[in-house]
Amino acid sequence: MENTNKIIGKGIDRIDGIMKITGKATYATDYPAKNMAYAVLFKSTIASGKIVEMDTADAEKSPGVIQVITHKNAPKLNVKGGLRGGALLQGPEITFHGQHIGMVVAETFEQATAASHLIQVKYQQDKTEKIDFDELAKKPEMPKGKELADLVRGAGKSALSQAEIKIEEAYETPIEHHHPMEPHATVAVWEGENLILYNGSQIINGAQTAAAATLNLRPEQVRIVSPYIGGGFGSKGGQWANVVLAAVAAKMVNRPVKLVLTRQQMFNSVGLRQRNIQKISLGATKDGILTTLAHETISHTAVDSEYIEPCGDCSKIMYEVPNSLISYRVVPMNLILPTYTRGPGKSTGSFALECAMDELAHQLKMDPIALRIKNEPKKDPSNGKPWSSRTTVKCLEEGAKAFGWEKRKAIPGTHFSGENLIGYGVACGTYPARQRDSSANIKLTLKAGQVYAIIEIAASDLGTGTNTILAQTAADGLGIPLSLITMKIGDSDLPPAAGSVGSVGASSFANAVNDACTKITDELLAKSNKQFFVRPTANDLMISEKIAAFETQSSSKAPAEAEQYSAHSFNANFAEVSINKLTGMVKVTRFLAVTGAGKILNPKTARSQIIGGNIWGIGMALTEESVIDPRYGNFAIRSFADYHVPANLDVGQLDAMFINEVDMIPNKMGVKGIGEVGIVGVAAAIANAVFNATGKRIRSLPITPDKLLPS
Amino acid sequence: MIPFKFSIAKNPSEALGLIHPHAAFLAGGTNILDLMKEHVAQPTEIIDLGRLPLNTIKPTATGISLGALAKNTETANHQLIRKDYPMLSKAILAGASAQIRNMASNGGNLLQRTRCSYFYEINMPCNKRVPGSGCAAMKGFNRMHAIFGWSDQCVAVYPSDMAIALSALNANVTVMQQNGGERSIPFIDFHLLPKDHPEKDNSLKHGELITSIELPKNNFAGHSAYIKVRDRHSYAFALVSVAAGFELQGSTIKTAHIAMGGVAHKPWRALKAEAFLKDKAATLANFTKAANLEMSAAKPLAHNKFKIEMGKQTLIHAFEVALKG
Ligand SMILES: Cc1cc2nc3c(=O)[nH]c(=O)nc-3n(C[C@H](O)[C@H](O)[C@H](O)COP(=O)(O)OP(=O)(O)OC[C@H]3O[C@@H](n4cnc5c(N)ncnc54)[C@H](O)[C@@H]3O)c2cc1C
Ligand code: SF4
Repeated sequence: MENTNKIIGKGIDRIDGIMKITGKATYATDYPAKNMAYAVLFKSTIASGKIVEMDTADAEKSPGVIQVITHKNAPKLNVKGGLRGGALLQGPEITFHGQHIGMVVAETFEQATAASHLIQVKYQQDKTEKIDFDELAKKPEMPKGKELADLVRGAGKSALSQAEIKIEEAYETPIEHHHPMEPHATVAVWEGENLILYNGSQIINGAQTAAAATLNLRPEQVRIVSPYIGGGFGSKGGQWANVVLAAVAAKMVNRPVKLVLTRQQMFNSVGLRQRNIQKISLGATKDGILTTLAHETISHTAVDSEYIEPCGDCSKIMYEVPNSLISYRVVPMNLILPTYTRGPGKSTGSFALECAMDELAHQLKMDPIALRIKNEPKKDPSNGKPWSSRTTVKCLEEGAKAFGWEKRKAIPGTHFSGENLIGYGVACGTYPARQRDSSANIKLTLKAGQVYAIIEIAASDLGTGTNTILAQTAADGLGIPLSLITMKIGDSDLPPAAGSVGSVGASSFANAVNDACTKITDELLAKSNKQFFVRPTANDLMISEKIAAFETQSSSKAPAEAEQYSAHSFNANFAEVSINKLTGMVKVTRFLAVTGAGKILNPKTARSQIIGGNIWGIGMALTEESVIDPRYGNFAIRSFADYHVPANLDVGQLDAMFINEVDMIPNKMGVKGIGEVGIVGVAAAIANAVFNATGKRIRSLPITPDKLLPS
Repeated sequence: MIPFKFSIAKNPSEALGLIHPHAAFLAGGTNILDLMKEHVAQPTEIIDLGRLPLNTIKPTATGISLGALAKNTETANHQLIRKDYPMLSKAILAGASAQIRNMASNGGNLLQRTRCSYFYEINMPCNKRVPGSGCAAMKGFNRMHAIFGWSDQCVAVYPSDMAIALSALNANVTVMQQNGGERSIPFIDFHLLPKDHPEKDNSLKHGELITSIELPKNNFAGHSAYIKVRDRHSYAFALVSVAAGFELQGSTIKTAHIAMGGVAHKPWRALKAEAFLKDKAATLANFTKAANLEMSAAKPLAHNKFKIEMGKQTLIHAFEVALKG
């Protein structure tokens, strides 16, 4: 019989919600420090070349200025220490527009900012700078990463020539930015030889090791404190130069230093989603059986190191197809290094793949849901492993019913409502389910007949609700009411854990906490030296054995047998759009995401995660685009006034449904992760709905009104 | 931002007494403060107009008077504006966000500066910011820029929505001068084309204070529209916008007033379309002809050719909405 007292699986409110709305939750910049100084970064105004002269005299004399730090006086750092994006003030070389070239440290932020405008820089510009993507993309290079080598199955792309039906199209996605609400910010405090960094970090231990290595310190000399994070979306996964530069400034002026990036600086300091051109070639029989799938991606990356998001990932596993090719080519550019961005590779990759599937369905005069179900793979086509579970068909079928898919008109451009055209679109998505090594510590104390628990784990909460689901896990695991549980996360002094990245957070952290609960209960049982017919909880044992205090730590890793399976979250996205037929403005009036992600620990925070991903997907589909001026290499879009994230009016009714599934293969708690998958397939569903409404296939995001004008 | 002195004026003459070539007035601050933070504007003194008794909206013998310091939100929601000048109400509400409109003043709205991103990027050439330095937008990313009336010095567009309606409504701007004198500027002459002096957005002289905007009576209330096409549904500047008002006799257009936003360095009065529609039947065919006629003079740049077709469609759409009333 199921235990209905369990709090896991209940949609309870966030345990830290009140703290957040009352301003008591401490984000990086909220840490007070006596005698704080303020650092402001200044940046290069060329994309490639070197600094030949830098005059800082006026800035140094400016009111309140303590010190100006440039490559001339900055300490030597280890540039291979694991920070992303360079820009550590180690020399005069410039590799991208907006590279940090120095910082002013002053008594106030305003004084540092004013002084930063007084710095005169002379450059020697490198005329071979690589800043024109359109030109460079004509001659892309082979990627360096081994995982990006061409992947050929069967006869590869050559099978296309035999296909009865063919689709060959290119899909383009622009540079996008993470732009979390909380900009990247650090308070650096030295205590003797030790350094504390208050700094929003998705991977606490990763931030610690990278900062320590870059500063030539031992990891234990650096402490990262990050209990709350105002979003990151990947940009606070790896850490960037600003973190260590705050520590450098603090050391040089011998005071605590606060360094906050401005919104403008966020455009070129902390990574971005790369620009991609994805060519999809589909071959199929006349009755809709896929015979060929080629997914060839050209992406930009940085000149001095390589990151590209793997756009072909969905194409590896989504459909049964005997012949396939997944390939990557890169265009190194003088730009900040791209980085993990929500649904890395899958959100952009699914846009290409799932639009192409829609194009194929249209050509075959088949329902796009039926086409997908027809090509459903029995096992993972990329490695032949059985699925731990696969919910694509369920997501499609249950979603179609809930959304009213039958109201979709198969012929595009035939569904009207007043002056608006209505369209329906569908697209699928997926993201791997993994568990990463994590450990947790539990401290129990008995006071006045009640057992209190403190759960310690160097987990991070991006604002997603990690704190809450871990408290729920502990409450069930220990038999202690939620109100008596204190969570301690986001601190590198706590037991090491994985990060809130790649949808591994919930499974890694929750399993670590759950295992620690099991271990502490076992230990208490052993200590009691009694036999029980029904296994008591840790709570029962503390009380019955009158144990004043008890503590244990344990570490967890993924079950060995998980390796033998292919484990993923899956979804199906349904979009309804309404488009003014004269002005071309698109509104997503309804959106439904149906997700199969194993055990849902808290339906309320899970829904927020999914609809948050959906909203970014609306931005990806309709509004978000960053433009590089190919003459200078700078961002021609440079503030929230013109980098358009969806506003309230852009978001219609959103619904999230979860498939009720039990899949205990990926990990003991059956948790698969929902952070990334929420954005996968969203842009494609909307683009497909736009086609259904208008008959216009827009293959270049975002779908702004100019692209839909009557021709 | 550079350090600056903050002074408070309690009445218009105090404000005019305090102003000097390096000082700037502060109304709602939603534009001037951004420009200061971005180091585009560097006044050494800020003169706060917040206490000036210029925040009323009141009927006059000839129409209605909008105080320069009255807030955009209050103006848009004022019952007389909603009843007699619905086009203005709609235009204001199509701009910015609720929070910004709550702060923005009517005078400040008219004087907001262009949103050309090179104007904001202080390391880029920009004749409007630094006369003689060049125009980065001309051969740069100019999707948002002008298709009418630009010069080889500047291709920026004027961003206000409110002003587009004021232009169609033939408003006058009342200005107080430092010598205590007053002058009234017809709206069509208030904003300027860039010509050789893009640093000048309008015909206001530095040190002059806007006291009110005067709206004459009109017969458009039953048949007017403000349509704004933008990259998202709120909180985005216009790609193209159209304010249109018809005076109808049966199904004949007696008078049409039409102004466009997002297409020029000033509110663009669509005089060709107005002339064409005068005394014509209000039919789709005539609407289309008028729209084509107006847009035929457009000179697009590399990235904004779409504004010609978008302009046509938006004009037609606005005409249809105005006709329906
Ligand atoms: C993100 C964002 C989006 C926006 N979107 C839109 C939009 O879509 N549509 C739109 O129309 N607007 C938009 N705006 C602009 C907004 O409408 C203006 O900033 C606002 O109207 C300016 O009014 P203010 O009172 O705040 O002016 P301030 O910033 O106080 O002043 C602006 C200028 O006017 C001068 N000034 C002010 N009052 C007087 C006076 N009485 N006499 C003489 N000089 C004076 C000041 O010295 C200053 O130079 C947006 C603004 C922002 C920040
Ligand atoms: S268009 Fe005008 S505002 Fe923009 S860069 Fe050119 S001169 Fe400056």
